[in-house]
Amino acid sequence: MASYILRRVLQGLLVLMAVSFICFCLFRFTGDPVLMLAGKYATQEEREMVRHAYGLDQPTYVQYFKFIGGALHGDFGKSYVSQVDALDTILERFPATFELAMVAMSISFIVGVGLGIVVSIRPKGALAQVFMSGSLLGISMPTFLTGILLVMVCSVWLEILPAFGRGDTVQLGAWRTGLLTVDGWKHIILPALTLSSYQLAVMMRLTRAGMREVMGEEYIKTAWAKGLSPTKVILKHALRNVLIPVVTIAGLSFGELIAFSIVTETIFQWPGMGNLLLTSIFETDQPIIVTYIMLAACIILFINILVDLLYAVLNPKIRYS
Amino acid sequence: MKRLAVIASLVALLALPSLAMAKADLVIATDAPPKSMNPQAYSSDANYSYMSNFFDGLLQRKDGKLAPALATAWERIDALTWKFTLRKGVKFSNGNDFNAEDVKFTFERMKDPKYSRFLNFGNAIADIETPDAYTVIFKTVKPVPWFAETMHQNFIVDKESSLTRDDGDYNTHPIGTGAYIFDEWVKGSYVRMHANPNYWEGEPKYKTVEIRPIVEEATRFAALAGHQVDIVNGVPLTLADRIAKMPNVEMIQRPARRCIYLTVSNKPGTPFADKRVRQALAYAINEDEIIDKVMQGKATKASQIPDKATVGYNADIKRIEYNPEKAKQLLAEAGYADGFEITIAGPNDRYINDEKIAEAVAKYMAKIGLKVKLDVKPKSIFFDETAEFKHPFYLIGWFDGSYDFGRSAEKLLHTWDKEKGMGAYNGAVYSNPAIDDLIVKSSSIVDLAERDKALQNINAMVMEDVAWIPLHYQQDLYAVAKGKNIKFNPRPDRWIVVKEIQ
Repeated sequence: MASYILRRVLQGLLVLMAVSFICFCLFRFTGDPVLMLAGKYATQEEREMVRHAYGLDQPTYVQYFKFIGGALHGDFGKSYVSQVDALDTILERFPATFELAMVAMSISFIVGVGLGIVVSIRPKGALAQVFMSGSLLGISMPTFLTGILLVMVCSVWLEILPAFGRGDTVQLGAWRTGLLTVDGWKHIILPALTLSSYQLAVMMRLTRAGMREVMGEEYIKTAWAKGLSPTKVILKHALRNVLIPVVTIAGLSFGELIAFSIVTETIFQWPGMGNLLLTSIFETDQPIIVTYIMLAACIILFINILVDLLYAVLNPKIRYS
Repeated sequence: MKRLAVIASLVALLALPSLAMAKADLVIATDAPPKSMNPQAYSSDANYSYMSNFFDGLLQRKDGKLAPALATAWERIDALTWKFTLRKGVKFSNGNDFNAEDVKFTFERMKDPKYSRFLNFGNAIADIETPDAYTVIFKTVKPVPWFAETMHQNFIVDKESSLTRDDGDYNTHPIGTGAYIFDEWVKGSYVRMHANPNYWEGEPKYKTVEIRPIVEEATRFAALAGHQVDIVNGVPLTLADRIAKMPNVEMIQRPARRCIYLTVSNKPGTPFADKRVRQALAYAINEDEIIDKVMQGKATKASQIPDKATVGYNADIKRIEYNPEKAKQLLAEAGYADGFEITIAGPNDRYINDEKIAEAVAKYMAKIGLKVKLDVKPKSIFFDETAEFKHPFYLIGWFDGSYDFGRSAEKLLHTWDKEKGMGAYNGAVYSNPAIDDLIVKSSSIVDLAERDKALQNINAMVMEDVAWIPLHYQQDLYAVAKGKNIKFNPRPDRWIVVKEIQ
């Protein structure tokens, strides 16, 4: 097990190196930050001065190794725009994104799996039909449309939930949370629903498919025959096996939710990392963009490893050696 | 698990009372977030707008006119020398006294690329003298006639604290002399501030204010509709009609200073070198239709680039009006009866409906027989390309924060000269030695009336030579919540200076 983890971590490091190199090269060709850094009236001479001050006159590979060297010490450089440490800037936004992804994931997992079970028990029932067609809508509707519709209905027409922002927050050490205030919860509902709509539908369909398959298996029939209660059969015997693919998908998409909740964060002006990334792209703020991509890659790699390990816990038959 | 839940709810209960933070007296939603709280870090109106609440310049603008602020008097002593007399008894929000040392420090820091995006302005200053604590004398490297005209956007920082603070702190926690004192900036969320009780102009009306940048148009509109904000700027054209009909909202429409125009090269060897071709392009464009169809009536026709408030605006200049027949005739006279290939470039995410305007222009060009290519792209790429002189014909917008056409002419019109720093924005490569000469001469004229005349002359000459085809001035749309008795009079520069809101 330990050697497996070690191998995965080493692989992860290689991937990170590749990611950093690719995005570093890419940014050489997208917009010259010097124009922005020197201000709009700067002369050629002043631009050169700035180029030198920021080390942008050095060859790409020198800049790259400098970046890697710094990154190993946790120094990803400073934002071109605000001159604040790039990693700090992003980490400051991390709690907002993490909480949003957590709530969205919880909604889609609990509701999705729940509905999936309900639908699989009476697949021909009217309720099941409604849920199934609803899930099609959830899968096919683009996030921005879901978000805007929710805003239209809940904020503009009904005026029951706020349309933007994070609401009141509480500082707990380094973590700024909105989950401890009523206002914070009010603000998180709409973006979390938006973010979860797709996942929820996927979870539900996955659970349903798995359940229907498992329910026909011999060991379930045995369980019924033994006279076990329906909850025990469904939740303990059937669901446990069904959950393996569901957890995998949930875990993988959690990483994606954190790294790419860009659209939802923009619609709801959620002060998270996705929002920051988009603004940084508009501003050609390369240090932030590169750091963000590195961080996103880290998160996704980490979660992938975690999911694999969770696999083993859920299904003792799987052994990594 | 249960114990954890108990602890969590206890923490929540303890935390709740501390959150009983009163809602701000005034909540403003804007279309652009602040980039930095260092007043010299970013030269955009959006950033100036935030800074103007925490900081003061030596001067300020009231209804577009220069007015005293941290300086009570100013004069141009000779072509290179400017003298400012400072206000006494002003304090920074950290309690430090304001004096000439702070002014000197601020302008010297502008030369440092680590802190400043105003290198060009900073480097234009040769020397700063402070004969006493309340007098500052600037010597410029070359004549800068609009020196005082920019003093409303050069915000003064505190020398003592700035020297000792680290960059991160300096760039996120502003210390100024402004009407408002900074409380908190949660990036991407809000900037919160409270009234400065000792402000030299008197304490402003609203005690606690929140400015919330909401970049997404639909969300900004929803925030307004949901009564979450009191003032909104950047109302999108597409929603204007609906917002105007909302019962709880008043919409304010204001001509903006920014002129949208086409800039044309006159480089020898290209069709554009012939003035008749440039005239033909201007005759081909039906601006009334653009305003009506593309801008939905929310724009004002322009006959020149500077707006009325700018020194150098010339009321006598007449627009070349739409006349496609005349355009074709001129093309034929110039020897292009069969047309030629033309590319119209422009940004697609910078100005109101910029891409659609460019498309309309392309259609008009096609109508007079030119073979048109449209080349619109994101501003971050487009502006780089203009800086590399890649496009001889492109759509762009401009207004001069200094309210001085002389500066615009130097940047946009003067032949590109790397050494002198002239023509840095002359991306289409227009060149006219007679105009260059007049631009340089005008900068040494100390008398304002005379200078205005000289600039008006340059303006008339360039319009006569068709270096530019002005299209329209944009209009700014604001929405204000009704029933709260908010008196908000938008400024032509789009800054939201909260102390002016009554």
